[in-house]
This record gives sequence, C-alpha cells and structure tokens, in this order.
Amino acid sequence: MAVEHTVGALSELPPGSKKVVRAGAIEVGVFNVDGELYALPNVCPHQFGPLCKGIVSGTVVARPETGFKPTWVHEGRIVVCPWHALEFDVTTGRCVAFPKLKLRQYRVRVDDGGMVRLLA
Amino acid sequence: MLVSMVLEARPQRRPTLDDVFVIDADVHAHETPEALLPYTDPEWREAVGNVAKVPHRYLNRPAFCPTPPYTLPGQALPSARNKAREEIVWDAAQMRRELDALAIDVGILFPDNFLKISAIPNGAYAAALARAYNRWIADAWVRDANDLYGVVMAVQQDPDDAVREIERYADHPRFVGVYLPTCQSYPLWGHRKFWKVLAASEEAGLPVMLHSVSGNSWVFPFNTSQMGTIAVHTASHVFAMMANLMSFMENGIPVRFPRLRICFTEAGLTWVPFLRMRLDKEYQENRRTWPYYEDRPSAYIKKMWFATQPVEEPENRQDLVDLIRIYDGEDTTVFASDWPHHDFDHPRSVFDLPVSPEYKRKLMGENALCLFGTKIKVPARYRWQSSTQSGL
Repeated sequence: MAVEHTVGALSELPPGSKKVVRAGAIEVGVFNVDGELYALPNVCPHQFGPLCKGIVSGTVVARPETGFKPTWVHEGRIVVCPWHALEFDVTTGRCVAFPKLKLRQYRVRVDDGGMVRLLA
Repeated sequence: MLVSMVLEARPQRRPTLDDVFVIDADVHAHETPEALLPYTDPEWREAVGNVAKVPHRYLNRPAFCPTPPYTLPGQALPSARNKAREEIVWDAAQMRRELDALAIDVGILFPDNFLKISAIPNGAYAAALARAYNRWIADAWVRDANDLYGVVMAVQQDPDDAVREIERYADHPRFVGVYLPTCQSYPLWGHRKFWKVLAASEEAGLPVMLHSVSGNSWVFPFNTSQMGTIAVHTASHVFAMMANLMSFMENGIPVRFPRLRICFTEAGLTWVPFLRMRLDKEYQENRRTWPYYEDRPSAYIKKMWFATQPVEEPENRQDLVDLIRIYDGEDTTVFASDWPHHDFDHPRSVFDLPVSPEYKRKLMGENALCLFGTKIKVPARYRWQSSTQSGL
C-alpha cells in the first residue's frame, strides 16, 4: 500500500530541478517543471536504467506544421535515460519514441509546512 | 436467404489455385530498340536506331541495358540453367498465353532492359527511352481483354520528365503504378530531388514500385565486383530495397507523403522483419535524427507493401508465415512471379503456404487490389467470392 514519503523542502526543489529519492523498496524521481511537481519511477522500462538521473531538457521534432523543419520543443520537460537515451516527457510520463509506452506517475504535493510529499 | 444461396454456390472442397483471383505484381515485357523505334521522339530515333544495330544480347546491350565490360558473359562456370527456355516475353499475346498456363489472371508489366536504365549516363536520352517505353506499353501491351496493366517508368536522370510522364498516364485506365528503377540508382529515392516524383505519384493515386536487378557499378550496393552470382543477386535486390526503404525513412517520406503507397518488389520477404526490428532498435537511441515520426519506424513500415518474389522457401513453410506475421504483412504482402525470368515463382509457391483460404486470397490477389486500386477489373467469375465475404 502506498504511503507518503518526505522528499524535502520545496525551497530545495526550485523550477528546473529534480531529486531522486528512495520510497520504500523503490526509487522515484521528483521533478519541478515550471512550478509544477511530477514524480516518475527511477527505472527506464527499456532496460531498467536509472532514468530520472538523466539530463532534463527539450527535444527535437519535425512536424507538418513546421514544414518538417527540425524544431527544438518542450524545453525543461524531457528526461533522457543516461543508459540508452530513451526520452520521456516528465509531465505526461509518455515516451517520445514509443507513444504507447507510458510511465506510472506518482502523486506528489506540498504540505502546509512547505515540504514536498510523495505518495508511493 | 441471399447469403445461404451464395454459400451453396461455394465449392465444397478446399479452394485450388484456379478458384482464386491471382494478380501478379511483377512480370516482364521485353522491350527492344527495334520495338521502341516507332514510339521514340523523332530527335532520338537515330540514337535508338544505332542501338538496334548492336546484336541482341539478353539484358546486356550498350546504351540500352548497360553492363560493365568486365561482367560480359563467359567468365563463369557453366550454369545449370543455360538455355533450357528463352526467358523472354516478346509481346502481349505471348504474355497472356504464358500467364494463363500459370493460372495468373492479371499481370503488372515491368520492363526488362530498362531495369538498368539508371546506368544510362545521358539523362535526356534516358528520359526519351522512358517516354517511348511508356507509349509502347500503352499502345502494344495493355488491352481491356488481356488483363495486363502497365506501370509508368520514372527515370532518375530527369525527375521533371518523370513527373510529366506520371501526370500523362495518371488517368490512363491501364496504368496502375509508377516504376522506380533501383539498380545502380543514386542518390536513393528518398533524396529531396525526387520528392516531386513521389508527390506526383501520390497525387495521381499510383503506388510507387521499387524494382532492382543484378548490376555492378560503383554505387552501393552494386559495388560487388569481387562477388559471384549468388552474392551479386542477393545484394542487388535485397540491399537495394533495404537502402531505399531507409532512404525513405531518413527523409520522412511516410509523413511528407502520407497517402503514397510504396511497394518493394523482387527482394523476397525475409529482410523485412530484420530491417523493421533493427530500425526500431536504433530509433530508441537516436530518435532525434529521424525527428519526423510520432511512433517507431515499424509503425510506418507496416503500411508499406512487399511483393513475394523470389519467395523464400524454408524447409518448414510455417516459418515464412511466421515471418509475415512478424512484419504485420497479412494485408500488405502481394504475390509476384517475376515471369519469365530465371528465378520466377509459380503461384503455388505462395498459394500453398499453410494459411486459411481467406488469407490465401489476400496474398494472391485481394491485397494487390488494395495496392493498385480500382483500375484493375475483377473477372466476373470471381465476383461471388467478394460477395460471400461482404455477405458474411
């Protein structure tokens, strides 16, 4: 059964930062994207690499609406697994390469004391 | 009531080849300079006339079907298949007769010599040959009565003229595709200089049919001068299709031209699962280098079409069925015989696969109807099959 874990003070997790914490038997990455908090398992579904320890930035897409010009998008939302570079959108849990692949998203909140609390 | 009457009309036995509508996605008409001369633009008749003075040699005639001098015949061990039959179809009546003997209802015509047209260096001349060939097919080969259909030859040497030819035959009732030569062709067909050819094909509603042949040149994968017949034949067909499929993917062709139907011919089937899996594997690490897609490469490749010949013949025929399943090919695999070439496949090589009667009908003809579209007329004696399918 899921229980709440303390991640740390929100002041230590400003926008654009992340923190990987242990939550019982698993590890979870907690991300602050433009002031919104997201939490994903620190396990890449590809070959179990430490996904949330990867770099968070944007990615490249080329779509009809830009005339198929390669374009940098989603800055601050994409985490790249440090093992084989599979990309995931932190805000949706969805894999950029394989859209059917979607990570579990844990609930995360800030309590009245300004502490980040993770339900996992 | 209607359904039960139709059911009773069905033969109470397993369907044989004769019960099934067969479209052959690849048969070869033998074009010669002599035959094309009357169809050649006046300014090129002297050139084609000069070629006609060179004695006929099978798929090996200078300025018509160029082959490097070091690959002239006579440098190999005696072949087991020498001269047992002519392996040439000279006219439509002969083709119809021979396809009838093979239980093939509809034949899609490809050239012989012009399988190597990309090796002709003079682009204006190559385009003139293509125009003459297309006229010759329209005038001398395709008839309402003979169930033969043509494909528009598009030469790489003059993409603008290729576009004009596609537009010219787009509404011709018996041209059902666009032939893209891939033997010794460079750059590959996904290159941006050919996007206008792909766009014209998409606009015309005609599938592009990539076709290769054994060749030897400096162009990958035809730089095979240290190899013998088996390796050259494998590289020239299979690697050419793989390279062109990757060129399409590299350049975002499936999303730039989403209505374009793409068919790969004369490379068999077993390379398809390999390439799909390999590209999916590469894609996960390097997706950004193919930024056009919203899903893995296989999601786009499964919308492409694959002609069976030369169909692989594993000891366990189920292996081939499994391979088709692995590349999701039940609805995108089309029978081709390659008649009258040395490595032709009899329709039974595909019809006898251990699959259901419905699946056999797809492989032998129904998938090809989807590929080539409604221009192909289904003979009246097969209509009951379609009606039972929709009725049930």
